Amino acid sequence: MSPSDIAPAGQTETLAQERRTEDFKDGLIREIPNLRAFAASLSGSMQLADDLVQDTLLKAWGNSDKFEPGTSLRAWLFTILRNTYYSLYRKRGREVQDSEGTYAERMATHGNQESHLDLADFRKALAKLPEEQREVLIMVGATGLSYEEAAEICGVAIGTIKSRVNRARTKLAELLSIGSVDDLGPGRTNAAAMQRVGSEPVGS
Amino acid sequence: MNGLDAAMTEPDDPDEGFDLVLDPKVQESIGRSLKAHYDDIVNAPVPDKFLVLLAQLEATEQRAAGASRDESQ
Repeated sequence: MSPSDIAPAGQTETLAQERRTEDFKDGLIREIPNLRAFAASLSGSMQLADDLVQDTLLKAWGNSDKFEPGTSLRAWLFTILRNTYYSLYRKRGREVQDSEGTYAERMATHGNQESHLDLADFRKALAKLPEEQREVLIMVGATGLSYEEAAEICGVAIGTIKSRVNRARTKLAELLSIGSVDDLGPGRTNAAAMQRVGSEPVGS
Repeated sequence: MNGLDAAMTEPDDPDEGFDLVLDPKVQESIGRSLKAHYDDIVNAPVPDKFLVLLAQLEATEQRAAGASRDESQ
């Protein structure tokens, strides 16, 4: 073999590596909007969410060799983001919420005023859910992740995920009904539509 | 006996506990609100700092790869 035969082989390897890096980077860029939405849902603050996303991207980059191509990049990134949140951000989140109010009250939203009000009310109710219920409701109800993926991300059984989703929905229905005293339409209907099984109604 | 068998196969996950039956219309309404909340953030413009960060990480990696390639020659 002459040296000229060896050089292209090495170059091909380097190019393949650069290609993998490029693909991984593109994958991360595509997931940023979802990471922000999940992080905001967890932390209740857009500012914390962006710090959390930045940490997640740095960790993902440093551990890119641990990602198995062909598996869900979103599920992998959500796992990193969630672990980072619970180990570093949870406490900070409460402090920020206490001092500034939640993003629900501050975030500018697109659309007409009526849907803006609906969205703000919904976010306030969402922020009142226990974290373990809120995170699975978002994963399963909004991100397109499966129950199986949510179970893996949270490290619990699928039955537990289903149960938490049910509880989260029920709690939200309660909170939203309570919040709309002067709105006799959907609020009252929701409350009446709920049938309690084996537990006492929570007072207003 | 059948009743006992059925009772024994009930899931004993502590999280299962009681469950409430929600009207499908209520579920649907919550589902729509969830998507509205989430998509509102998903559709918001992504701050440039994230793209800058990733470009920096990539450039650093390429410089490191270039350096180790030079060393091996």
